[in-house]
Amino acid sequence: MDTTLPDASGPSQTDMDTAALEASAAITTPRERVPVKVEDDADKVNEAEPPKFDLDTYIANYTGRTRYDRLYLIGTCSPLLSTDALKAAITEAKTSKDVSRYERAVRALADVAPNDPDASLDAAWVQETNRYVQTQTERLEHELRGYKNNLIKESIRMGHEDLGNHHYETGDLAAASKAYSRMRDYCTTPNHITSMLFKMVNVATERGDWMSVQSNAHRLRNSQSKPEDAAKNLSKISAVSALSQMHQGSYLEATNSFLSVPPDLGDTYNEVITPNDVAVYGGLCALASMNRDELQKNVLDSQTFRNFLELEPHIRRAIAFFCNFKFRQCFDILEAYRPDYLLDIHLQRHIPQLYKRIRTKSIEQYMIPFSRVTLDSMAKIFAPTVVGGEARPTDISSPFVQELVGLIQDGVLNARIDLEKGLLVSNQIDLRAEVQRTTLESLREFNEEAHLRILHAAVLQAGLEVKPEKGEGPGLGKAGRFPRGPGRD
Amino acid sequence: MTLLSDIISASAHLHSSNHLPSDEYDCRIRELVEYWRRLQTTKALESFANDESFLDRFDPAIDSIPFLFVLRVQIQKVQELNADLFPADIRPSGKLWTRAAQFLASFDGVQVRYAGREWRLLVELVGQASQAASTPLLGATLVKNAMLRLDPSCAVFTSSHLLLVRLCLQAKAYSCALPVLNKQICHFPISLGRPSSEPSVLCADHGSSVSFMTEASGVSSKISYRDYLQYFLYGGMVYMALKEWRKALHFLGIVISMPSTSSVSLIMVEAYKKWVLVGLLEKGKLIYFREQLCPPPSITTPHVVKVYQSLARPYIILAHTFERGDLKKLNAEIDAAMGVWSADKNLGLVAQVVAVFFSQTVIKLGKTFAALTMADLSKQVFPSPVCAEVTGPAVSSLIMSRALNATLVQTKDHAESSMLRFSSIHSLPRLSHELDLQSQLKQEMKLMETLLINLGETNDNLGLSDEYVDSLHKGQIWSGSSEVNPTGGETGLEMDEDLMGDMS
Repeated sequence: MDTTLPDASGPSQTDMDTAALEASAAITTPRERVPVKVEDDADKVNEAEPPKFDLDTYIANYTGRTRYDRLYLIGTCSPLLSTDALKAAITEAKTSKDVSRYERAVRALADVAPNDPDASLDAAWVQETNRYVQTQTERLEHELRGYKNNLIKESIRMGHEDLGNHHYETGDLAAASKAYSRMRDYCTTPNHITSMLFKMVNVATERGDWMSVQSNAHRLRNSQSKPEDAAKNLSKISAVSALSQMHQGSYLEATNSFLSVPPDLGDTYNEVITPNDVAVYGGLCALASMNRDELQKNVLDSQTFRNFLELEPHIRRAIAFFCNFKFRQCFDILEAYRPDYLLDIHLQRHIPQLYKRIRTKSIEQYMIPFSRVTLDSMAKIFAPTVVGGEARPTDISSPFVQELVGLIQDGVLNARIDLEKGLLVSNQIDLRAEVQRTTLESLREFNEEAHLRILHAAVLQAGLEVKPEKGEGPGLGKAGRFPRGPGRD
Repeated sequence: MTLLSDIISASAHLHSSNHLPSDEYDCRIRELVEYWRRLQTTKALESFANDESFLDRFDPAIDSIPFLFVLRVQIQKVQELNADLFPADIRPSGKLWTRAAQFLASFDGVQVRYAGREWRLLVELVGQASQAASTPLLGATLVKNAMLRLDPSCAVFTSSHLLLVRLCLQAKAYSCALPVLNKQICHFPISLGRPSSEPSVLCADHGSSVSFMTEASGVSSKISYRDYLQYFLYGGMVYMALKEWRKALHFLGIVISMPSTSSVSLIMVEAYKKWVLVGLLEKGKLIYFREQLCPPPSITTPHVVKVYQSLARPYIILAHTFERGDLKKLNAEIDAAMGVWSADKNLGLVAQVVAVFFSQTVIKLGKTFAALTMADLSKQVFPSPVCAEVTGPAVSSLIMSRALNATLVQTKDHAESSMLRFSSIHSLPRLSHELDLQSQLKQEMKLMETLLINLGETNDNLGLSDEYVDSLHKGQIWSGSSEVNPTGGETGLEMDEDLMGDMS
């Protein structure tokens, strides 16, 4: 375990300066890193490999309900950290008023460590909290009814807000979002609207309802708040809309949104996303969706995004390696951090897809300057384990060659494999022949189509459409004069 | 012999009028035809019916009409005498057959326009006689030449078209039908009801044959939808036999896309079945269109498509298996529906589908690989292990037939199988290829030009002038805007008024 690396001890603020130094040095003198173990197709959480972050420092970056979610995810996915994480999750749940969360965490812990003292339900707390929640709900609803009778807009709005907050805290997310959306009619100032929308975004984020996040973020962008407020909110808005785009799988849009997050995001939105997350998500999405020029221009040279990248220097290094054509080093970094990312609440689902895209794209980018490459040299970069493990790494049945075959057949790579000489040969298109071919083809298609349509018109004009039979017409009599053709087979 | 001198003077009258303006010539030739028709009905020609030398007096190239009528009378006489529809004299190499052949090979196209009915009857007789004598090829050549002589553009569908392809199919003389099949049919004989813009006469030099091949001319018998459907289906079959898949596909496409009011002809269903198979043979893949399975040309009416798809299930399933690229499944699919193929007489096409499947797979591999060993190739093509002996000859025959642009190289160590190297895309023999392309382009250009002429003719017939289209277009805009206006336009108006109110 290479915890001695300066950038490996997690995204704590104290490491930032050394990490930034490290990152700037990495571009000029790429350091030789020996990867612990490279797994090309580890889609699941790798049990053997410990994550690089420290649980306490990691979770300290977040506030609000996301802390529990993250702890619970780590607890259920990582065998190494499960006990610690679940215990922390239980404590977290106990400080809140959400009984179902507490019960879920306890059940999970009971599966992992049945003998742990925390693994049994605290029945008294559960009962008491349940009672408290119920009375509180009734009280708030009663108050709201009172406000409604008084017809004072502001109090009604606050009544809804209190009820929504209460539901949110107790984990009834559907009811919370309903209560928040009822606030809309009673909002009187732009500020009210913004705060309501943010609350709705938070609820939707936790529910994983990314469409709703997207639409609310859009509304937030269009809300007419004061310029200073708008500037303050902009960072949060763009961060959350980028997040929703990433979740919807449109990585290029997500990249552009992440890149446009203003650097003053800071710790203002820790209940959803931290600046470190912006750097990681943005960096990975960019790697997966942009080519080398765009990466250099829009990511590495970006004035705003640089601030985020400094928080996660290894992402910066990976992008720099990618831009400098050093794909192996880039993969090494990404692979080393794969376990970390697989424990991230937002990234977990997208890591296999993102990594696959990065890999495909790097193969594609690698091929661009060459007209022919030996399969061996490619395999050394893209499939080092295969080179080591098999007698004939460039045989047709090797997984790497099969991967290339798949890429060619999908039309990603415009090249052909020469198995005799072990080469990948890029296709040269003869433009003249291509133009001739397409011209001829379109001419033919036009002629056929035109003929069809002229005939159609002629048939209709002559009144010769295919009609239902009216007895045996004279047409058949004529046809009957000839013996039927012998058919053809 | 007053009749004889009368006849001779009548036709001589026409000879001298060759240089007359066309309307006078028209007048005379009409008179002549009338005269002969009258003679025919009054049985005045009975006396010449047995006189074989009488026909020698007329040259079919100059006196086409007298020759035609006399020949008709003599044929009728022979038929009556022998109480047989096709007595020996009419059958190929009979006396009258020779006469008919002489006439059909050299008649004057303009004169015959006036006696279209008699011409058609003769052509039909020749065709039937050759069938009866089981020498359909003789009939087919005569019919083909006669058709091209009467109407070199062959753009109007007549009953002779159907007769010709039928004869050719029976004779298995497929290329014989090509001169006619390659001409595109764009019209049907119609009665020109409207008064023609220019007073044209039959003998005038017409730009298109539509104006003289009318319903009234009798060049074609009464046509029903079955006739042209059969013609195009048979034409498609001729092209299939010649392995001209693209043209076959076009012909079958015509059949399956013909307009229908409510019912579907079985001929169309038959054509659809062949169409699916030929599509596989031509393109090597299914054609997807708007997510539909095996969609016919876009102008086909939707309800017809549904009928096809329910009636031709096995074919569509076969096509999908082809697309998925599993040889074993394809074979299983073919075996399973063996009864269907043979009942539809499509066994030959299905057998070719399998062959094409193999070559398509190999050609597709050429897009992925620049070179690979035969052993690897057979592994890619056949999922189950097949020994290289099967693929080796198959691939070499593909290369020899030029379907595959590749070379086979023997590797140094003989233990391994030989190496198949696909030629790169642009290493074709340039010059001959270019010339070939050029001629193809020219051919298509010519085709397009004739199509354009025919299009103009169709527009003319339908009364679709530019002005009409313009006014139609305007009308549509009007009706379209009147639909939109009630919502958009009026609110706009109201807003204007409001603004004015605010201002004041």
